[in-house]
Amino acid sequence: MIEDLILKLKKEIIEELNVENMTPEEIDAEAPLFGEGLGLDSIDALELVVLLDKNYGIKIQASKEGPKIFRSVKTIAEYIQEHQEK
Amino acid sequence: MKFTLIYPKWKKLRGQTEFHLPPHGPVVFAATLPRDVEITFIDENLETIDFNDQADFIGISMMLTSQVKRGWKIAEEYRRRGMKVVCGGIATMLHAEETSLHADAIFLGEAEGRMEQVLEDFRNNRLRKVYNYRTDFPPIASVGTARRDILKRQLYSYKGIQMVDLFHASRGCRFDCYPCCMSFVGGREFRPRPFEKVVEELTAIDNNRLYIVDNSLSQDTTWEKQLFREMIPLKKKWCCHPIEDDDEVLDLAAQAGAWFVYQAIFDTSDFIRNRIKRYHDFGIGVEGTILLGLDRHTEDDIRRLIDFLLEIELDLAEFTVLTPFPYTRAFADLQGKGRILSYNWNDYTCDQVVFQPKQMSPERLRQLYDEAWKIFYREKSQPYRMFELFERVIDKEMADGSFQRQPRTRARRKFGQGEQ
Repeated sequence: MIEDLILKLKKEIIEELNVENMTPEEIDAEAPLFGEGLGLDSIDALELVVLLDKNYGIKIQASKEGPKIFRSVKTIAEYIQEHQEK
Repeated sequence: MKFTLIYPKWKKLRGQTEFHLPPHGPVVFAATLPRDVEITFIDENLETIDFNDQADFIGISMMLTSQVKRGWKIAEEYRRRGMKVVCGGIATMLHAEETSLHADAIFLGEAEGRMEQVLEDFRNNRLRKVYNYRTDFPPIASVGTARRDILKRQLYSYKGIQMVDLFHASRGCRFDCYPCCMSFVGGREFRPRPFEKVVEELTAIDNNRLYIVDNSLSQDTTWEKQLFREMIPLKKKWCCHPIEDDDEVLDLAAQAGAWFVYQAIFDTSDFIRNRIKRYHDFGIGVEGTILLGLDRHTEDDIRRLIDFLLEIELDLAEFTVLTPFPYTRAFADLQGKGRILSYNWNDYTCDQVVFQPKQMSPERLRQLYDEAWKIFYREKSQPYRMFELFERVIDKEMADGSFQRQPRTRARRKFGQGEQ
């Protein structure tokens, strides 16, 4: 279920990127990750790449498919699901 | 002798990233002090000054015009406590007369080989009001390895990532660009440091990522090629000001670890389009520095310029408003025509309009400046573009085996929080 994956991702992002004062419920799965929205910065994005590699075995290149995948928690979850089903 | 060296805080450019780089002027200056001088360095952007700390002599190092008013206040605060203060650095040179009203002594020029005399005068209570060596350059070989040991390293680590260290391989600049004061500050004669000194210093820097702050590397082709050849074995990764557009030079730069270049972009010409493409062809990123408000800039020109930046796939853009710093051609020009609107140096942050633009009102230029940032970063945000640049450097490091993963224990720190 994608909802479960989204929740898991939210927890991992909060934990590993040290997002302060936020619970998984407070993260809008469709909100932008960078700038307004979740407010991640460039260093967080690097950590996110490491997280996806480590936890899901997914390698993402920022300049290629990155902008589409790193749009929101939901788009990351969709990519993981799609990738893992293959 | 206890010497406290202060780097005054300033208001950063709106829209700039929150990274703080370890400053260069103070560490280069510190290397000119005799080794028995005990230096305490305070970077006020990241630390608070305790004026009651004991010191024998206070130095205030100022690089930016927007630092001087704060620097003067700090000087006065120390002098009120009976301590002697000497000011130096680029901004002291640009604002010498005003600064001398607030300090016991001002030092103009390059400090190598000169500080023993200043300290001697201090000990004998006969400090001169002005030490003026502005046009009397010390031998370039006397420039030693900067004293980076005075920096509190943990302050320059952001979420576990160590920021670039600043480094210089030459002084002076043969160009005399309209908005730039470097010809006044360092002279128009290009003065490269001996390669053995350059390599010695680069080897001593405990950081794989650097910012080479030379005014432009594109000063002398033979020198530039040799510099890169010397750097190749060191496997450093670095950003810098422009590199010459030449196949061999760009290839050597890439081999030497060129990561990205700060390149001025002033129009929408094929020259600029090609310049950016050439860097990209050699795997070198480009952060454009885009100056808005030149006399020829109409509103339409500025809009076209922003579209052009997206078209040429610039990696990052930093927009600034033309700012007439003293001793630049811009200052002479605009002051001569009575077009400077503010001499409040705190406004000289390059995101304020302190002069009367030719083609529009100051307010309109300010609006266009804000729009420029918004439009450029609309599709891909600034953090995302920074992320891409970081990924570029990590790829390069992975390729030559120089990548070092920062320990996870350091990953939770933010700027200014220090050890936890």
